[in-house]
Amino acid sequence: MGIHEKFKTNRRGFLKLGASASAAGAILASHRLSAMENELGGADYSAVTGEKRKAVPYTCMACNIEDGGVAMVENGRIVKLEGNLNHPNTRGKLCAKGNSGFLHVYDPDRIMTPLLRTGKRGEGKWKRITYDEATSLLAEKLREVIERAEAEGDESIRNEIVMKWGRNRTGGGIKRFMHALGSNTMVNHTNICESSKKVGLEPSWGPDIESCDWANTKYILNFGSNILEAAYFMNPNSQRLVDGVVGNRARIVTFDPRLSNSAGYSHEWHAPYPGTDGAIALAMAHVIMNEGLYDADFVRDWTNVTAEQLIEHLKPFTPEFAEQESGISARDIRRIAREFATTKPATTFSYRGPVKHLWGAYQEAAIHMLNVITGNVEKKGGYCLPRGMGWPQPEPVPPKPHAPSVLAAPPLYPLASHHVSTHAPYMVMRGEAKVSVWMTYYDNPVYTYPSSHVWEAFLKDESLVPFFVSFSCYMSETTELADLIIPDVTYLERHDPESMPSGLYPCLSIRQPVIEPLGNTQEFRKTLIDVIHKLDPDGELGIRQYFAFDSVEDWMKQHFDNIPGLKEEGGYEYLKKTGVWPIYGKVDKETAKLVDDNGNEIEPEYALYTTEIPAEQMLGTEIRPDGSIVKDGEIIGVRVNERNCVGFGTPSRRIELYKESFRKYGFNPLPTYKRLASRDKDPDELVLTTYKVNVHTQSRTASLKYLAEMYHKNPAWMNPARAKDLGIGDGDLIRITSPVGYIVTRAHLTEGIHPDVVAVSTACGHAAYGRLATLKHRDPAADWALGGDPDITHNVWWDDRGVHPNPIIRLSVDPIGGSQGWYDTVVKVTKAQPGDKYGDTNVSVEQAMKDYDVTLRYAYTGDLHRANHQEVDVDWDNLPAPELKAGGH
Amino acid sequence: MQAETRQSEAAGKAGKAEAAGATAPAEPVAELQARSGLYALLGRCLEAELDGELLALIRGPLRDALDEVGLQLGQDVFEDDEAALLDRLAEEFTALFVAPGGVLPYRSVFETGRLFQPQADLAAQAYRESGFEFRNVHSGEFSDHAAVMLSFVGRLLDRQAGALAAGDAGSAAIWEERRSRFLTVQIGPWLIGWARRARSCARHSFYVGLLELVEQVVWDDLCQLCDAKTLQRLVKANQKPLVRQKSDPEFRKASGL
Repeated sequence: MGIHEKFKTNRRGFLKLGASASAAGAILASHRLSAMENELGGADYSAVTGEKRKAVPYTCMACNIEDGGVAMVENGRIVKLEGNLNHPNTRGKLCAKGNSGFLHVYDPDRIMTPLLRTGKRGEGKWKRITYDEATSLLAEKLREVIERAEAEGDESIRNEIVMKWGRNRTGGGIKRFMHALGSNTMVNHTNICESSKKVGLEPSWGPDIESCDWANTKYILNFGSNILEAAYFMNPNSQRLVDGVVGNRARIVTFDPRLSNSAGYSHEWHAPYPGTDGAIALAMAHVIMNEGLYDADFVRDWTNVTAEQLIEHLKPFTPEFAEQESGISARDIRRIAREFATTKPATTFSYRGPVKHLWGAYQEAAIHMLNVITGNVEKKGGYCLPRGMGWPQPEPVPPKPHAPSVLAAPPLYPLASHHVSTHAPYMVMRGEAKVSVWMTYYDNPVYTYPSSHVWEAFLKDESLVPFFVSFSCYMSETTELADLIIPDVTYLERHDPESMPSGLYPCLSIRQPVIEPLGNTQEFRKTLIDVIHKLDPDGELGIRQYFAFDSVEDWMKQHFDNIPGLKEEGGYEYLKKTGVWPIYGKVDKETAKLVDDNGNEIEPEYALYTTEIPAEQMLGTEIRPDGSIVKDGEIIGVRVNERNCVGFGTPSRRIELYKESFRKYGFNPLPTYKRLASRDKDPDELVLTTYKVNVHTQSRTASLKYLAEMYHKNPAWMNPARAKDLGIGDGDLIRITSPVGYIVTRAHLTEGIHPDVVAVSTACGHAAYGRLATLKHRDPAADWALGGDPDITHNVWWDDRGVHPNPIIRLSVDPIGGSQGWYDTVVKVTKAQPGDKYGDTNVSVEQAMKDYDVTLRYAYTGDLHRANHQEVDVDWDNLPAPELKAGGH
Repeated sequence: MQAETRQSEAAGKAGKAEAAGATAPAEPVAELQARSGLYALLGRCLEAELDGELLALIRGPLRDALDEVGLQLGQDVFEDDEAALLDRLAEEFTALFVAPGGVLPYRSVFETGRLFQPQADLAAQAYRESGFEFRNVHSGEFSDHAAVMLSFVGRLLDRQAGALAAGDAGSAAIWEERRSRFLTVQIGPWLIGWARRARSCARHSFYVGLLELVEQVVWDDLCQLCDAKTLQRLVKANQKPLVRQKSDPEFRKASGL
């Protein structure tokens, strides 16, 4: 009997049987096979000896998400990194960047010893010195400034000591150092990141970001965020997003000019014109309010506006108006608005797409409002407040210096609570601020900032920056200009306290050395302690007392050993073992949910704003007719439905959709939309946008072999229809020209991009950052730089390091949020001209300086401000004068 | 395998020597001492920047000998202002052996592309076996540093010479075996290739000459120690030629997707 005779069925029948079997699920699961990642999470064995490897928990810092990790160490060497299952938000998973992080440690291009410049700045000539010599030299330079300030009786001179950072995860360490020195000049990087998002949110509800309950939601409106690849909290958010979309059948709708992998994962992808998300959000709010789809109780009880006020304000922002601005059909906008308002629970998410524009803060405020009017705030499956935990600073804490710093908090941007770091070089070059010692930490502005060549010109100029110190352990485009390099260690060799609101379970975590600092290198904290001890050896300057730590561990203990709850568990020693506190439960192997010993899900807390004010705190309060609970002249909560609730982190304890702080400076107090100059570009021009990819940070991962192999070149995405008009074919060499200059790259034609946009990713086109980032070995003159690295000589199959777009991106800052408008540069794209070579970059510092003048015209003191805000009811002749505040750090 | 064979041969020799009760040395004490001095010099010159003392040696007592072995140093090494020359040499030393982009003098880097891999443990183990311990002076120095390895060979030669001078042929044979093994197993596979590459990048005559000398000295010793087949294997291990991959003209891959 042949097989066909025995089984009288067909392929369709087999599939049907298979489908039925799949539905049976666990019943048919093999008891002999188990997923290694589930069974072996937190444990690992040597492939050679079979011995169990040492597992050391840590907090990742490959990017800024700070996932929980466990390092597997064998013979004192890190052999593998994996996720820490104790971490309630990242739940045992790391991304590609996190998994590759140990390559940082053993990278032969790592700076392993302090270097003192011997040639001209940037010439690459160094002499090695010891940490002792290096910290002595820095202490001497700092002391000179302090003594001059003392001699002249002018505290503000101390502000000539500058600390510029890109990624500061020191848990207060840098602030302690700078305040101890008496300087307020701490310049962060936030305005090239998402600061206008923060400023769009903070005055409304307190915190600077949302934490969506992805796993429990039913509808997600994603504005310009690449959640699955690159946005804030990428790893935990993408896990929960998939839980929501697959496990909870949530619908996701994405607005993004580029078809990112998140857009591709969405049920709907809409490609609006760049910078028009706000118009779409306002139009959706218009529909929701006018069709009575809003949550009337929530708007009444928990906002500082009335429904009528909102309806009136939203009148001009019709779906038809939004269609004109964005190109998204009014019909779709209406439909999506209705779906969003009627599907419960729902949430929006946004990141850099909407906010990295001149009017970024308005755009974020408009998107945020959608959640407020639909009552999705702090609901299970909704749009929640971020949850984090704090830690105490060791006593004594240095007081904040009195003298304000113009570089740290430029007074023309009073609402920019995260400051305007892009302006620093321009201000110094224009003589608006003076620098004596410039220190840079985890920062590479010569690569990462708009018109990045301006930073290079600035830092090269010894008359502007007399002494320049870098604490980097990589020879970045910025560090190679330094006078002195005191290398830090990598994140796997250092200590930090951490608490990232990367999910709905607040926790503390620790970064600790998983191995001793390689080759007796020294972590940054130790360098800070040494510098202070040398600067003030006997305490006569009153500085040493703030760094009275016996060791870095002693410093950490003072953070962790007195936190109620953690203290009882063992404080610092407990965290060293677990990596995270508290441990909420286990990660269920099937559902990836957090469960207790009985397998029941441990739910996060919701509705935090309704937390009841303790009875003792209510003593001496008065309740106003609108429900505001007032104590000592300050509103401390809101009484709603007979409950005394703590409310939100705003002066009224309600969500302040109406922002008086905005109006005070002539900005629209309600969420609004302003048309960008790029919207009125000539038809033959395009808008240049940039984006991050899933295996790289902006700058510092290009030297990692695994990641460089996966992604190393970044052709410009163009829509085929537009490319055809311009006579450009796929793979053609092209020039992208902005008013600042041009770059020469290649075109990648794809339907996945708005026809008016050309998109170039970041992370490529390095001029420094090690041999893998620069591929210098392809340059015959630099063959010597091989260093005998077999991964270069044998395994690097690519010869294209990409082209960096930042030099041609114009400085353009949101006058409210202070954020750089990365996606506002209008360019011309043409076929390359005779003589053009791939990678050519030709830019002008003079032209970039003009952009500084242009962007200041938009500031509240600028001549364009009133014309841009004619609708605002304010005394235009008496706006507050610019005020120098003592920094915001 | 080669090393193991040689080890057992050496052990056999040592045993025979002991049984015979101190026979004539394979190499005269003076020669061993001279070679020890040579390795010590090479090690010192590569281990750290030159200082006044070492420069004085090179300009004075060692000048003729260096000339005789064919080490061609520029006139500036002998004539320039000492402080200025030492600064220039320190700059060159840092660029070549310390700073990113240099030709790092570690076996781990040469063989794996990473710092501080098991090669460093093997070197440290060999030092310990002979009663030495690696300690770094500057941060970022590891036990598989070319200079430390060369210095170690010098120490082994010195111990061997000492044992012979004291009439302890058994110990001398052990020292000889350890040196032979270390040269063949730990230095042989990489140090010549590294020195050649570093030499091609050196911009100062001192380091060009020094690295050439390192190459010659080590090769000369390996030729004494290894058979033709082993030498062939070592030559291959040291080559690590630059492999230029053909770039892919198919641009669709340019997106990196």
